[in-house]
Amino acid sequence: SLTAPIGWANSVSTQPRHFVEHVVVRRTGPSAMASFLVARRLLCPASARRLLPCTSPPPSAPAALCWLSTDASPSPPLPVPPLEPTVDPPKKDGASFSAGSGAGGAYRTGQGAASGGRRSGGAGYEEEQQKVLRASLLHVPRMGWSESAMIAGARDVAMSPAIVGAFPRKEAALVEFFMDDCLQQLMDRIDAGEGELLKNLMLTERLSRLVRMRLEMQTPYISKWPQALSIQSQPANVSTSLKQRAVLVDEIWHAAGDAGSDIDWYVKRTVLGGIYSASEVYMLTDNSPEFHDTWTFVNRRIKDALDLQKSYKEV
Amino acid sequence: MKHLDVAGGTGDVAFRVVERIKSVSHRATQGTLTDMEEDTHIYVCDINPNMLEVGKKRAAEKGYNEEQCLSWVQGDAEALSFEDGSMDGYTIAFGIRNVTHIEKALSEAYRVLKKGGRFLCLELSHVDVPVFKDIYDIYSFSVIPAVGELVAGDRQSYQYLVESIRRFPKQEKFAQMIQEAGFEAVEYENLVGGVVAIHSGVKL
Repeated sequence: SLTAPIGWANSVSTQPRHFVEHVVVRRTGPSAMASFLVARRLLCPASARRLLPCTSPPPSAPAALCWLSTDASPSPPLPVPPLEPTVDPPKKDGASFSAGSGAGGAYRTGQGAASGGRRSGGAGYEEEQQKVLRASLLHVPRMGWSESAMIAGARDVAMSPAIVGAFPRKEAALVEFFMDDCLQQLMDRIDAGEGELLKNLMLTERLSRLVRMRLEMQTPYISKWPQALSIQSQPANVSTSLKQRAVLVDEIWHAAGDAGSDIDWYVKRTVLGGIYSASEVYMLTDNSPEFHDTWTFVNRRIKDALDLQKSYKEV
Repeated sequence: MKHLDVAGGTGDVAFRVVERIKSVSHRATQGTLTDMEEDTHIYVCDINPNMLEVGKKRAAEKGYNEEQCLSWVQGDAEALSFEDGSMDGYTIAFGIRNVTHIEKALSEAYRVLKKGGRFLCLELSHVDVPVFKDIYDIYSFSVIPAVGELVAGDRQSYQYLVESIRRFPKQEKFAQMIQEAGFEAVEYENLVGGVVAIHSGVKL
């Protein structure tokens, strides 16, 4: 029952709630960003409220995608009521997930002998992959999110185009790289000082500003963004794109500073996720100068959503 | 793009690559990538000139002789006559099992590939799936040589075939060997439970 508040949300005290984050290791370059994000979250003092002991493998292991499934496990001496059963999934042993990442950071488990994962030396390959993808982004406005763009990108960095054949789910790799890159830029900008500017604004304005910042990064690619959305919604790619969006929304809420909220943690993120996606789609057909209408749309939706939550609470 | 197909004398892989290039370039002309087709060249290398002859004949039948992009070269997988870093792709289909020194073939592959070039190997491999493994063993050692004797009158060759499959390193071991040759992002995919495996790696 997602509408019932999790116990901790009521406690405004500084008792940190420990979330255990389980990490599944997957060898995919672009999504290595997410593991980096988790490390950042741990280092950020403002996140003391959501302390995340990450069970990711040591840095020397091949690059990883963090699959963020947040399980809430209460710390023992708590004055607040225990979690409801539905919100307290069973504790899983981190080892069972990262089993495949042991032994020299070698291979994917599961599927029996169907296939063997990639071997170490991953750091060099991941870097090169990212270089190619970054160079490919320059060609996207002209060629779309396609193999041609990636081949052109590979040529730009003096790589044989054959390397594109080794990318998992080719066009999806490019789109996912872009999503990760935008998220990284957003976080960098927040850390670099724009975060300070946000402090003077109301919550609704903070959220609007952040969503706008993120959506503006897509404007150079807006003509080909429908293609990116359709790539992201393909069955093979949808789970990764959902994870990336979840991380993005989480990050935006975190930067907006979700203090003193009575609203369910999951609901907040779901609502913002919905607003973000709706705005993204709205932007595709927006012809106003500098997407003025889209920003108005974003402001209104966020305001409506938060007003609704307030009224719900009042009721 | 330059592609090298080793031990592919009869041209199976090479023809498919030609088809693929032509189809990709036709799609790509809509996407402004027109230089792929002009630059493409496929080299078919085989140690046995008779196989190359068969391949040339098949190419003529398929009408590829007008294609300027196919070359037939005699050569040894352990000592290729191509320059360093000259190939975008290297494939070897059902050939590496017959090479005396697999490591040499792998390092030659590494040598001729460009940066970013891809190594692909298709080979008969080991089955580990419980019940299927036994069926496969029975089929291999009892049925295949018998049929070989019946149809081709040559039991020995087919006995050799089956034994050479068993002698070839397992998927993991072979993947390790590929990695030792210098390739990155080495992975393999089993087909039909392991009867055939595709190994791939990238040179960086």
